[in-house]
Amino acid sequence: MKRMISLTINGKRYDDAIADNLLLIDYLRDVRKLTGAKRGCDGGECGACSVLVDKKPHLSCITLAAMCDGAEIETIEGQAKQGKLTPLQRSFHENLGAQCGYCTPGMIMTAEALLRENPDPDEDQIKAALGGNLCRCTGFIKIVKSVQVAAKEMQ
Amino acid sequence: MSEALPQFQLSRPASIAEVVATLKSHPDARLCAGGTDLIVNMRRGLVETDMLVDLGKVAGLNQITETKKGLEIGAGVTLADLIANKAVQTYTAVLEAAGAIAGPSHRQSATVGGNLCLDTRCLYYNQSHWWRKSNNFCLKYKGDTCHVAPQGNRCRAAFSGDLAPALIVFGAEITLVGPDGTRRLKLADFYHEDGAAHLDLKPGEILTTVHLPKSNARSAYGKVRIREIMDFPLAGVALVCSGAKGDETLSVAVTGTNSMPLMVELTKAQMLGADQDAFFAAINKDVQKSVSPQRTTTTGSHYRRLSIAAVAERLARELCLG
Amino acid sequence: MNTPIKGKVAGQYVPLVDGIEKVTGRAIYTADMESEDCLIGRILRSPVSHGRIISVDTSKAEALPGVVAVVTGDDSDKTYGVIPIAMNEYPMARDKVRYRGEPIAAVCAIDAATAAAALELIEVEIEELPAYYRPADSRAEGAELLHDNKPNNIEREVSNEFGDVAAGFANSALIREAVFDCAEVNHAQMEPHAALAEYDVERDRLTLHSVTQVPFYVHLMLARCLDMDTSRIRVIKPFVGGGFGARTEALNFEMITALLARKCGGKVMMRMSREETFITHRGRPDTEVRLKIGLSETGKILAVDCEAVMAGGGYAGYGLVTILYAGALLQGIYDTPAVKYHGYRVYTNTPPCGAMRGHGTVDVRHAFECLLDRMARELGLDPFAVRRANLLYAPMRTANELMVNSYGLAECLDEVEKASGWKQRLGKLPPGRGIGMACSHYVSGAAKPVHWTGEPHAVVAMKLDFDGSVTVLTGASDIGQGSSTIVAMAAAEILGIDIGRVRVVANDSAITPKDNGSYSSRVTFMVGNAAIEAAKELSRKLREAAAQKLDADPADIECEGEVFSVRGSQQSSLNFQEVAFAALALEGTINVKGTFRTPPEAQGGKHRGGAVGSTMGFSYAAQVVEVDVDLDTGRIKVEKVWAALDCGFAINRLAVEGQIEGSVWMGMGQAMSEETRYQDGLPVHANFLDYRMPTIVDTPDIEVFIVESNDPLGPFGAKEAGEGALSGFPPAVVNAVANAIGLDVDFLPLTPDRVMDALIKARREAKKKKKVSA
Repeated sequence: MKRMISLTINGKRYDDAIADNLLLIDYLRDVRKLTGAKRGCDGGECGACSVLVDKKPHLSCITLAAMCDGAEIETIEGQAKQGKLTPLQRSFHENLGAQCGYCTPGMIMTAEALLRENPDPDEDQIKAALGGNLCRCTGFIKIVKSVQVAAKEMQ
Repeated sequence: MSEALPQFQLSRPASIAEVVATLKSHPDARLCAGGTDLIVNMRRGLVETDMLVDLGKVAGLNQITETKKGLEIGAGVTLADLIANKAVQTYTAVLEAAGAIAGPSHRQSATVGGNLCLDTRCLYYNQSHWWRKSNNFCLKYKGDTCHVAPQGNRCRAAFSGDLAPALIVFGAEITLVGPDGTRRLKLADFYHEDGAAHLDLKPGEILTTVHLPKSNARSAYGKVRIREIMDFPLAGVALVCSGAKGDETLSVAVTGTNSMPLMVELTKAQMLGADQDAFFAAINKDVQKSVSPQRTTTTGSHYRRLSIAAVAERLARELCLG
Repeated sequence: MNTPIKGKVAGQYVPLVDGIEKVTGRAIYTADMESEDCLIGRILRSPVSHGRIISVDTSKAEALPGVVAVVTGDDSDKTYGVIPIAMNEYPMARDKVRYRGEPIAAVCAIDAATAAAALELIEVEIEELPAYYRPADSRAEGAELLHDNKPNNIEREVSNEFGDVAAGFANSALIREAVFDCAEVNHAQMEPHAALAEYDVERDRLTLHSVTQVPFYVHLMLARCLDMDTSRIRVIKPFVGGGFGARTEALNFEMITALLARKCGGKVMMRMSREETFITHRGRPDTEVRLKIGLSETGKILAVDCEAVMAGGGYAGYGLVTILYAGALLQGIYDTPAVKYHGYRVYTNTPPCGAMRGHGTVDVRHAFECLLDRMARELGLDPFAVRRANLLYAPMRTANELMVNSYGLAECLDEVEKASGWKQRLGKLPPGRGIGMACSHYVSGAAKPVHWTGEPHAVVAMKLDFDGSVTVLTGASDIGQGSSTIVAMAAAEILGIDIGRVRVVANDSAITPKDNGSYSSRVTFMVGNAAIEAAKELSRKLREAAAQKLDADPADIECEGEVFSVRGSQQSSLNFQEVAFAALALEGTINVKGTFRTPPEAQGGKHRGGAVGSTMGFSYAAQVVEVDVDLDTGRIKVEKVWAALDCGFAINRLAVEGQIEGSVWMGMGQAMSEETRYQDGLPVHANFLDYRMPTIVDTPDIEVFIVESNDPLGPFGAKEAGEGALSGFPPAVVNAVANAIGLDVDFLPLTPDRVMDALIKARREAKKKKKVSA
């Protein structure tokens, strides 16, 4: 049995018939072919699947797509506008906030939610906001820096 | 393998009455609020149900109301909203406990009711289907032996919610709504020392409200864990310190050490007249005596006992003397 | 890139050439390639630790609607493995299973749910055998053998002695011995394992996309296990989400996915869970290091005696290299005139260990730096002073014939001593606070690869065509470390062109030259040198064409910022496009290549296993770690790290910093909280809650210093930067704890429960001593 859901993804509206047990990450990746959100763990432990649901960071690998009916979803694919990187994307690129890049979409989306809410976070606030996003390459040093530089850029 | 979720139907009721009716018609249905624990368990094949009841659309479940007596906190209030709520700011232990749960994204979805009804945890239980099957399952789910205490006849899985002890020390009560109407009980009485059936939840019942009595008492929550974020508590302790300076009265509750959160019986709860060092040392001893951590985590039970007692003593000193 | 870098690029901060894809979500990793026509693969894993397979009945699974193919050990009777003389693993178990989680069978079906259901229908009968999880048990007399040809369950025993060890100890003023226990750890790269295999029945061709660090090994093992001609196979490495050594060996799921694809005559996607990724393992083995050091009164190292016992898991894997590395890399960092080493790589019924960042050296370096520190204390020497008393002077050869051509350890020591305020702060910190230090080193590529074919170690091809772009073709696997950026920079630097003109095409066996892959920190050194050679050849051709046009001697032509001119002359110059067209007019599309071979003198001693540890150049690192210890809870908080690394020359300063930060941090994970543990062979760590890699909140500031010793053989003088600093962290933090609270700990990781136990034990012993002296 399938149900209809209507939601917007990166500003575009979609109506899709989906199964009740479909996870948001699988809806995004398999149905909408948006593979930016990654699976890194077996459920909510790494943050690589983070997307924004109604402007708040959510773990799409433990969220049911059906429960997002009517929601506004933002993913990494919708960040750059007309090919131009957002300040966070540019900063992660230029400051090596991304090495292998696997955690990066989730990291940037979580940081994006932080900066919208708090445009001038201190180091502890950045760390607290990204505490659920694991990275195995950078030792987080350049991730913190990437967020700091982007925050300055946006002011 | 990335285990696919089992087939189920999602019900999205709009009122408590609808929830209760749905539970009545589907006795095996499971309630799902934030889903941050339930969906993970479903992915691991730990939940058998043909219906999930989404509480996200239920009217009134996500409100915090200030009354003369204190706060009425809807079970559907997210942890993030709880932490941000002005009226909650005086309840330091509650804030600290909520803030210590999982990671920030979890707290956007996870709810007060979900954390209070959190399933118990155990290293023999929170594993994949392959893992548990290779180990002949366990007493909590599909098996007949508790691998933690094979001689015993009950499940030792640990209750690992952070919020419960912080609410219990303030004397919080809860409202449950079910097919036979509404009942209210002390949150402390909501739990049983049985990892496989730790909640006093009757068939068809739903936890709707937490009643947090008015209080200006100083309080704190301490959590023992390896990492400073994300980890479930190896043990957690909440303290409330009330009364006049020099005559403080303490109440202490712990989590993560047993199948239920528990109030610590203090040999002496009132500081007045006591030798200060002896008073605080006694709290350490009392906590050690009342908890019974088991081999439910990769970290040894002896350590969990000693460390949570040390944290309790330290917080008690800070609250009483600070 | 936002700000194009013109002219000289080497030595600058250069963002990754494939970084835009990563920050926009456009980077396609293996699991992102699932398409509508993919079947979904799943693996059935052993429920027992050790047993003889009696039967595997797949008939019910095959009959399940939606199941397309089922494979078992019967489908491949060829062993695979990374070391030609030690291949003893089948893609799926045949006679025996040797660890819980070992693949027994696999299915592919129309969807994941059907595949999962099919696994439940496969009936496996196994006669259980005694299982061993610790080396002492598997080595015990009468123990059941995991492999019939390996007596006492020892995969490899290594014994060697260089210099006169007995005389060294006889002359020593202080001799101390200690045993260190280092827990097994895992790479835990963020991307779970995945493979996509497509078999073309009509042409008998196989294409595999995988998460590998070494596509070349995968290619060879696919051919072997599928009994196919290598020419019929194509291996492509898309974006890879980290490796750290986990993906150096060809892994069982790669062969299994290919076997399924061939059997079903189609396309199979195998995505593994985090748990399965942990079970596939190849991590750093649980190692017990017994170490004895003899020092002179002034702290000179006179003799070293080390024994290492590694619990290697159920198969050989990389084991013999790991156990050899551990002994070889006792040398090459300090002046160690006499070194004795005994190593045992032992089979256990756990997932096979393998190569992990700092392969072989980490646990013995940990023991060495901890014991050296303790002995310095006894001699009344400062930790920095005892290291300085034992420095090497390059060029030199160590007792075990390792070549040391450049050596920046002294500068590393100076940097971190100064930056940390060591002299002013040591002994003056508040209670519970402490600082400690340690040194470490690592190879820049193995001078002799395990698959020795006689070919050059690296080949890079470069193409210049009508469009004026330079395409660099390389088989080097960028797994996030920035290797593609290094080859692009090398081309741009030598050619004097904008890096934006350079495109890197990597890792498609049908297109790019063979490369030995990304392991042992070889890529910058070897592939970098090959890229430089190719670029020089292209540059020569361009300069010749320019010389013709400018009517000058090619030797006088220089190119900088894409402008060709005659050296010392004011006459007219040519732009790159003009010269490129002139060169193309002479011969059409220009294809050049560069190669790199290691010189024989770099390939180590003639003794057995002497090639392991040999390299063209070692990186050197020193670091200081500051901690705060909570005596009530045993918690250790890392407050700050100062790390200096001699990488010869930092071609890309941004990437070098990132590598140092990342490797120090990974050392911190192993030191503080990470470990893989088994309960009767079942992993109890196989998720990201129980495998506790540090979070961003747990991570202190890491201040990095780059030291450049300018290696004579390195590309632009460069050496490796991604591994050397890792093994210094664990001993530095242990030394810091000793400084903070006077407690010497002999175990890793320093989890609070272990620290608490050690504290209780130390208090009890202190009490006992007090009683005795009273």
